[in-house]
Amino acid sequence: MTKRLSEVILMLGFIGIGATLGLAFLKAPSVSINAFESPDAQRIFYWHVPAAWSAFIAFGFLFVGSALWFFKRSDFGWKMHVAGAQAGLATGLMTVWSGMVWGSAEWGVPWDWTDVRLNTFGLLTFLALFLVLGRQAQIDGAETRDTFSTFGLFGFVLVPVTYVATRLWQIRHPGPVIGGGESGSLNGEMALILLLGAISFTVFILGHVLMSMRITSLEQRLERIQEAKDEA
Amino acid sequence: MSEALLSLNGVSVRRGSSLVLNDVSLEVTSGQLVLLRDKNGAGKSTIIETAAGLLPLEKGEVLHNGDVLIDASGRSKRPKSAFGLTLQSDGCVGSLRVEEHLLNALDLAGGRIDIEPWLERYNLAHRKHDLIAHLSGGQRRKLAMLAGMLPGFVGHAPRILLLDEPAAGLDSASRILLVEDLHKLRCRGNTVLLASHQPDFTTCATHLLTGNAMETNEDFEESKEGKDDIKSTSHKTNPAFRTGFLLNQRTLSSVASNGIAGFLTLGILLALVDSSAVDSSLMQASGLFLSAAFAAGLVGDNMISMLYEHRTLDWWKAHRQGIPNSYIHGLFLGSGLTAMTQFGFDVAISWPLIAIGGLLTVATMMMVRWMDLATSRLARPRAAFTRILTPILILPFALLVQWITDSGLF
Repeated sequence: MTKRLSEVILMLGFIGIGATLGLAFLKAPSVSINAFESPDAQRIFYWHVPAAWSAFIAFGFLFVGSALWFFKRSDFGWKMHVAGAQAGLATGLMTVWSGMVWGSAEWGVPWDWTDVRLNTFGLLTFLALFLVLGRQAQIDGAETRDTFSTFGLFGFVLVPVTYVATRLWQIRHPGPVIGGGESGSLNGEMALILLLGAISFTVFILGHVLMSMRITSLEQRLERIQEAKDEA
Repeated sequence: MSEALLSLNGVSVRRGSSLVLNDVSLEVTSGQLVLLRDKNGAGKSTIIETAAGLLPLEKGEVLHNGDVLIDASGRSKRPKSAFGLTLQSDGCVGSLRVEEHLLNALDLAGGRIDIEPWLERYNLAHRKHDLIAHLSGGQRRKLAMLAGMLPGFVGHAPRILLLDEPAAGLDSASRILLVEDLHKLRCRGNTVLLASHQPDFTTCATHLLTGNAMETNEDFEESKEGKDDIKSTSHKTNPAFRTGFLLNQRTLSSVASNGIAGFLTLGILLALVDSSAVDSSLMQASGLFLSAAFAAGLVGDNMISMLYEHRTLDWWKAHRQGIPNSYIHGLFLGSGLTAMTQFGFDVAISWPLIAIGGLLTVATMMMVRWMDLATSRLARPRAAFTRILTPILILPFALLVQWITDSGLF
């Protein structure tokens, strides 16, 4: 059962995400025509915001894992780094993709190169892509782990910058939904669907991290067996 | 007992997944020559590279002249006295001339000696002005060996000389000369750490290092020649800057890589954008004129790729006195591309914008170069995909364009 735990959690996350998507399209109240250029596209919000929230959790795992490897040489930390990078890439791409679709409908352009929030978040996703692709191309060892952990630690600096970006340099992207003051607050059905989305994405991320850490453990075990065979 | 020139204190080093050095301690004083002669894979090169501060430490510290060179917390300091280094992979780039590489090694040590007698001694005098790429494997090894050894003849203060398989591929006559020279270096008070399988060195080594144990060499024979009379002069210059400039002049690598990217961008802009529609009062205009310079910078510094040849990058990094770069060429290239873009779109030339174009190329090159250097320790640095991170530079570029527009500079 313990071995299957990650798969069960991952499946629960998927079901929750599916339910959120269904509720967003079928149940969520319509927004005011005057407040949005494209009110129907606003429903992407129920996917976009939880995806961004879970991406920050994934980047948190990446940071903690990088720090644990870099300062403590912890194998567990390295597994967490790998899992955080993969989960960050998956949820980062979900956020960027959904944001671009929404941006095209609402702003008329999918991306704005002068918006700090868009760019710092995009960069976090690129960092995750760099870490995932880079690790796959390298031989596992101290040099590889040190280098990628350093990038993981540096990259995390972008997380608070991304969060406060809309307060300091708001250009296109709206302010934060959570902890963003009166202008960012939600209520009623909207808040409930968003909460379901946030919980589902969080469960999904936890499942993904657990599964990824298990796969990395198995990869390391396989490598040790191969090395033992080489020496025999 | 005199103070140790080179100390490794409880050093542990990991390479790949294996711990190659585990709690190794070593103290070498002035006038000692320690021969590392373990079997293959025992960690001889790792000890040499650790002593040069090239490898990160899991535990312990490396001291040069009593000062920390590198420690396990990641602290790394430039040594007060430069050391000589011969890497197993030569550490010399093919586009430099023989003479230039030796002068670099001497300049890094802060002085000059007459290199002519040395080139003659090792039968390289006729190759003095040749590119290193034209040398045979044995000749290149002689050059790498001389570059590691000659700093020991600069000045009066004893130096550390780290020589990894200096005699590999050398003929027997050259090996005899090398043994004589090692005696001279030791007599001058230098500390020599030498890794080799060749039996030639057992008579000139004062100590032997096998595993973690250092013992006095009973086969050591004192030299009859005594001290040499080699004169050196002080010479303060920055060889990294000079080498970067020379390599760029010779290979035109900046034009071939950064320049092509810039010219292609310029060509595409001229083909796609109607010059009559370009209004310099619009924000996009300055962005348009700087695009080619920015694209040129995004390619990065091709010097780093060039220096991967025979681990030349590691040789420069070990000396901690800068790494050759292409900044001067980048500055001219960026300025030229910005001027050409303005000329191509038939607008009045703006000199501040031209200067900004040059600086933009250099700044962008520096950032990409930093990413390349940060991944240079990897087993496969060229498979690290650092270019994925270059979009980080688009936001500063966009903000710069906005600032230019807001400031009314253009």
